[in-house]
Amino acid sequence: MSHDAFHGRLEDDRMVTGSGTYTLDWDFPDTAHAWFVRADRAHAEIVSIDASAALAHPGVIAVLTGADLEAAGFKSLPVITMPLKPDAMKPLMPFRPCLATGKVRLAGEAVACVIAETQRIAMDASELVVVEYNELQPVVDSLDALKPGAPQLHDDVPGNLYWDYEDGDRAGTDALFARAAKIVKHDLYNHRVVGHPMEPRCCTGVYDAAKDQYFLYSPTQGPRMQASMVAKVLDVPTDKVDVVAKDTGGGFGIRSAPYPEYCVTLLASKKLGRPVRWNGTRSEVFLTDNQARDFICHGELALDDKGKFLAMRFFIVANNGAYLAPTGLLAQTRSVTSCITGVYDVPVSHARIQLVATNTAQVSAYRGAGRPIMSMLLECLVERAAIDLNMDVVEIRRKNLIRNDQYPYKLVNGTTYDCGDFEGVLDDALKAADWNGFDKRRAESARRGKLRGRALSTYIESTAAGGIPDDAQLLFEADGTISLKSSSHSHGQGHETSFAQVVAGVLGVPMNIVKLRTGEAGMRVGGGGTGGSRSMVSFGSSYLLGAREVVKKGREFAAKELEASPDDIEFDHGEYSIKGTDRRISLMDLAKKYKGSAGEPHPLNSVGSGKWGMTFPNGAHIAEVEIDAETGVTEIVSYIAVDDIGNVITHALVEGQMQGGLTQGAGQILGEHAIYDRDTGQLLTGSFMDYPMPRAGMVAGLEVLDHPVPTKLNPLGAKGVGEAGCTGALPTLANAIVDALRPVGVTHFDMPATPQRVWQAIQAAKAGNPRALQTYTLEYA
Amino acid sequence: MYAFQYRKAKSVDDAVSALAADADAKVLGGGQSLVAALKLRLAQPSALVDLGTIGDLRYIKVGAAEVTIGAMTTHATVAASPELKKAIPALADLAGDIGDRQVRNMGTCGGSIANNDPAADYPAACQGLVATIITNKRRIAADDFFKGLYETALEAGEIITAVSFPIPKRAAYMKFKNPASRFALVGVFVAETSAGPRVAVTGAGPGVFRVKDMEQALARKFAPESVAAIKVPADDLNSDMHAQADYRAHLITVMAKRAVEKALK
Repeated sequence: MSHDAFHGRLEDDRMVTGSGTYTLDWDFPDTAHAWFVRADRAHAEIVSIDASAALAHPGVIAVLTGADLEAAGFKSLPVITMPLKPDAMKPLMPFRPCLATGKVRLAGEAVACVIAETQRIAMDASELVVVEYNELQPVVDSLDALKPGAPQLHDDVPGNLYWDYEDGDRAGTDALFARAAKIVKHDLYNHRVVGHPMEPRCCTGVYDAAKDQYFLYSPTQGPRMQASMVAKVLDVPTDKVDVVAKDTGGGFGIRSAPYPEYCVTLLASKKLGRPVRWNGTRSEVFLTDNQARDFICHGELALDDKGKFLAMRFFIVANNGAYLAPTGLLAQTRSVTSCITGVYDVPVSHARIQLVATNTAQVSAYRGAGRPIMSMLLECLVERAAIDLNMDVVEIRRKNLIRNDQYPYKLVNGTTYDCGDFEGVLDDALKAADWNGFDKRRAESARRGKLRGRALSTYIESTAAGGIPDDAQLLFEADGTISLKSSSHSHGQGHETSFAQVVAGVLGVPMNIVKLRTGEAGMRVGGGGTGGSRSMVSFGSSYLLGAREVVKKGREFAAKELEASPDDIEFDHGEYSIKGTDRRISLMDLAKKYKGSAGEPHPLNSVGSGKWGMTFPNGAHIAEVEIDAETGVTEIVSYIAVDDIGNVITHALVEGQMQGGLTQGAGQILGEHAIYDRDTGQLLTGSFMDYPMPRAGMVAGLEVLDHPVPTKLNPLGAKGVGEAGCTGALPTLANAIVDALRPVGVTHFDMPATPQRVWQAIQAAKAGNPRALQTYTLEYA
Repeated sequence: MYAFQYRKAKSVDDAVSALAADADAKVLGGGQSLVAALKLRLAQPSALVDLGTIGDLRYIKVGAAEVTIGAMTTHATVAASPELKKAIPALADLAGDIGDRQVRNMGTCGGSIANNDPAADYPAACQGLVATIITNKRRIAADDFFKGLYETALEAGEIITAVSFPIPKRAAYMKFKNPASRFALVGVFVAETSAGPRVAVTGAGPGVFRVKDMEQALARKFAPESVAAIKVPADDLNSDMHAQADYRAHLITVMAKRAVEKALK
């Protein structure tokens, strides 16, 4: 593997000079423009839609409603399902239309689509569409929605309960709890956030009548994955849909699946015989992009009298919103419980998660996809145990870590960790953070009038499992470059650089002749998209195998060229040579010479493929925060992240991913919060005037350290890094903030730690209420 | 945005006659509030009369006793002026912390004052420094100019041409930012002026206001402890998801104390 010094990413020049090709940079002649009429209320029956005035507006071409989609045979937007135990409840998956029919279930739901000669005309005309509603009471809080008599969203989802999911061993867990010396309980609310890719939802739908082919130009994390879902809605074979994309401006999980508007523009294009473009706004991101989190969590930990963990049990209520997002089942259940007992040696445990329908935006996978829910609940529970039992926060963890001699380590739900060095990771973090010097730093902060807190958290997550084989094609081009083709689409991670580095490392060629191509029209390469921190693990491994295959094939040609037996040929730094001689030829010269017959594929072309399984990145993070008690402002002053992500391909890109993930986690902890009005169901934080995004520099004093324990589950030995920062940051920062507030009497504090909430918590604690900022309480059931 | 006519004004008089001819026309300064409102379709003027091309509204004149700033001078220019930094560093500081770099490069002193956003920074400086707002028609004392939520003493066809700030003995501005918008949740401008100490608060109420109790306490002794125990009643303050009125009231005291500390440094 090549480990040359990092000289920036291959895609950087394009990105930083604004010459990328994002969705709306694709330009087509004769394009019509779509604009969506959206529900101005959260829950209502649609009595009528009158588009006559809009249709009469000059420049308007058409207005589509749900009835048009029904007539065209549109199916529901799909939901990804998973295998179930035979006795398990089946999830209820109500129809999710691309334009509301009969009812609107969230404020902002698309009701009609106006198509006009220009975007401005479409916007003007959309104000002329008259929708008559019969208003219904909305419900936005998941516990409210579960109450008897609550407003019902879907006829086929009684009690607003999409799914009652269980994982682990309930009876065995209860038995251990019955004989525990101590039981510790903790409640927390993992509040709702809005994912904010830089590029809002947008698309151009192009129907090619001659080929009877749909081309969707849209932001995407995986063109074929997205195409397959669009095809389900259109009710056509997957092959009839091409998703085309070059650059995608951020994804975080919420750009993995198609949105209703995308399918509508494709139908509109078919009806009108013109490309139809939709330029979505930031307001529409807020209202109807897939949102994230919103879990009410309750955890219990049973311990023996020496502080050893016996069992854990969890009851979680997840607010899934008005419809199930495509990843709304998976990310909200199995992804939460896959690493159910974290890095701890706890043989028995149980979790129950209820997925609830409310009049809010649908919730989906979002950086970490469920794992940050469990890491936060688990680590806040362990922290609570240390405080309640007066144990050292390091020792309680150390005592219960899975030891290196316990691998493979099988969890109660069958998840099996292949390797790790949890104590080694922990010790690295303690050392890097100068753990024992904290009291001095706390005293120094106090002299400046600041409350200093710190916390250690461990985390472990499962990266997205294989599912289907991920193919990696290596194609020798006539211009002397090598094309890489695969189905995972970068939304900013640096795939062009990482995959080129893997391939160039094996082939001994310059990285800049290796060109990654993913979202091209007509491209059909087997595999999934990016998501669940899987691209390097899976596609990286497939490229590695593909590159080795190239070397193997090349050996035959080299033998011919050098007139020797293939057994006598060795390959090193891009050159074949006869062992012990100076007779040699480079791979690229061979490729030029032996290009096969015209019209045939190049004989060196190769495909690597594999169904790479789950890996388990893990780490120990230590954060220190300072709180200005006078104003409630919290600042992160240092953050040490020690991570075992297996073999590191490019540390700089790993560090970039960790910075991004940690900052995204910090954003949620320090302020991001999607708040719906409980009476009206309106989103109160619908713009950046009210929704604070994390800013550069928010995570001050950040140090990212590698502690690689290579996995044998894939040939790269890599474990995945895309989400690890976020999974680690939520519990680490939350616990550090509570640690800072404990000396002023606060014992419980639900995030986000906005200045006002922190100040209120301090005032309430002074007045004798140490848990004033606790949002919910649940009982295990 | 909705469609509108766009007109470049050649002079202030030209702008005034354009406005007189069209009751639904609006003046465009730097556009950092108005253009955002237009993009969200929250405003629908028939025409915009752009003052941006009137060169003689962009200047900073530092005299012996006062600084005069042309209405179309951008925040970035105010923040970077070496003469101003010497004369009234608090004002340069304030301008340098408005919005972000893009906003500061476009947004103007006159535009901010004319708009009178309840969370804008300039109104606090105007009242804190006993400024005079100069229009095409008259001179208006800052105390008489700001009339609460987006309301000012400006009449139809009246355009701000400059603002004159007397140079104080010392001054400072402390802003507690809204965590999302970065506007002032509470901003306090304190100054020791020839007219006595001033404490002007923005962000906390429906418009900028002075805290007379604090001014009197500072007149006795210009020191942080003079204001540290003075509470502003929460009754008339703004209350929203970012800061309820009691928190805002508390922040006024904290920011006033810190502003006095800063002014004394």
